[in-house]
Amino acid sequence: MSEVIVVTSGKGGVGKTTSTANIGAGLARLNKKVVLVDTDIGLRNLDVVMGLENRIIYNLVDVIEGNCRVKQALIRDRHYPGLYLLPSAQTRDKSAVTPEQMIKLADTLKQTFDYIILDCPAGIEQGFRNAVAPADRAIVVTTPEISAIRDADRIIGLLESSGLRKIDLVINRIRMDMVRRGEMMSVEDVLDILTINLIGAVPDEESVVVAANHGEPVLGSDSQAGEAYLNIARRIMGEAVPLLHLQEHTSLFHRIADLLGRRQ
Amino acid sequence: MNRYRKRTFLTSREIAKTRAELAVSADRLDCNADLLAQMRQEVTEVLSKYFNTEEENLEIRMSFLCRWKRGISDVKTIQIK
Repeated sequence: MSEVIVVTSGKGGVGKTTSTANIGAGLARLNKKVVLVDTDIGLRNLDVVMGLENRIIYNLVDVIEGNCRVKQALIRDRHYPGLYLLPSAQTRDKSAVTPEQMIKLADTLKQTFDYIILDCPAGIEQGFRNAVAPADRAIVVTTPEISAIRDADRIIGLLESSGLRKIDLVINRIRMDMVRRGEMMSVEDVLDILTINLIGAVPDEESVVVAANHGEPVLGSDSQAGEAYLNIARRIMGEAVPLLHLQEHTSLFHRIADLLGRRQ
Repeated sequence: MNRYRKRTFLTSREIAKTRAELAVSADRLDCNADLLAQMRQEVTEVLSKYFNTEEENLEIRMSFLCRWKRGISDVKTIQIK
C-alpha cells in the first residue's frame, strides 16, 4: 500500500526541501521505494539539494503534458538505489499544472513506489493546492520562530479544511544551547502552541549545511540531524521510536559560562 | 523601574512564546491582537463582577465547533493567556 506525503510549511526557508530529501533518503535506506516530487514549478531546488542537477532531461511539466513517459523523467539517486527524483520545471510557472493532473500523476507513481513525497512550494497559492491535492498525509515543517509557527498554524488549518486528517509536525533547527539559556522556544513550547502530533525534532547543525554543499543527504553522516531524520522515516513507517534526546556538544568552558550567565 | 525588572525576568524565549500564542490565536479567530486584548479585558471585567478573580491568574479558553467538509465535527480550543 503506497502513501502520498506532502511536505509543507507555509513560510519559506524553514527546511522543507532539506527535510524532503532526508526523509526520502531515510525511507530508501529502510528498503522502501521512494520518489521525491519537486512541485515548486519555476523555482526548483530539490535537484541541487540532492546533487542531481546535472542529470535533468525531462521534468514534471513534461510528464503532465505528455512530452515524455514518467519513467523517462525519473532520476535515480546517487546513494540509494530505491530513491528517485521527479524534478520540477524551471522555465514555467505554477499555473502550468492543475490539482487534478497532480492526482493523476500520483496515481501513476503509486503503481511503482511505496512512498511518494511531494516537496511543496512556500505560500498558500496554486502551488500549495497542487501539492496538497493528491496527499494522504502531510508533514508540516516549522522552526522555533514566531513567524514560522504562525504560518505553520495557518497551513494546518488549511490542510484540515481540505480534509487531510493525518498531519504531523517536524520542528527543525532547534538549538539546545539557546533553549537552555532561555533564548529559543523549546520543542514543548512549540507543541503547546501548535497542538498536533510531533513526528520529529531536528537540531540545527553544521553538518546539514555541509551535506547540502556536497549535494548529499545528512543522513548516514555521523550527526544528530541525520539520526533525527532517520527516526522520522521510521515513524512514518509506523514504528514507535522514542524522541531523540537532543544534547549539545559543548566544552566544559562553555557549560561553566552558561551557568554563570543564568545566575545574572 | 518596573520595566527594567520585567526585562530581567522574562527571557526572550518566554516573550517569543507569548507573542507566538497571541499571533496564532488572533489568526485562528480572524481578529487582530489588539481586539483580542480588548476582548480579554472586557471578559475579565464581566467575570470579576461574579467571581473573585485576579487578572494575572486568569486564562480564557474558547471552544469552537468546527464542521469539517466531510461532515465530521471537531472542537477547536483557543487559549488566550
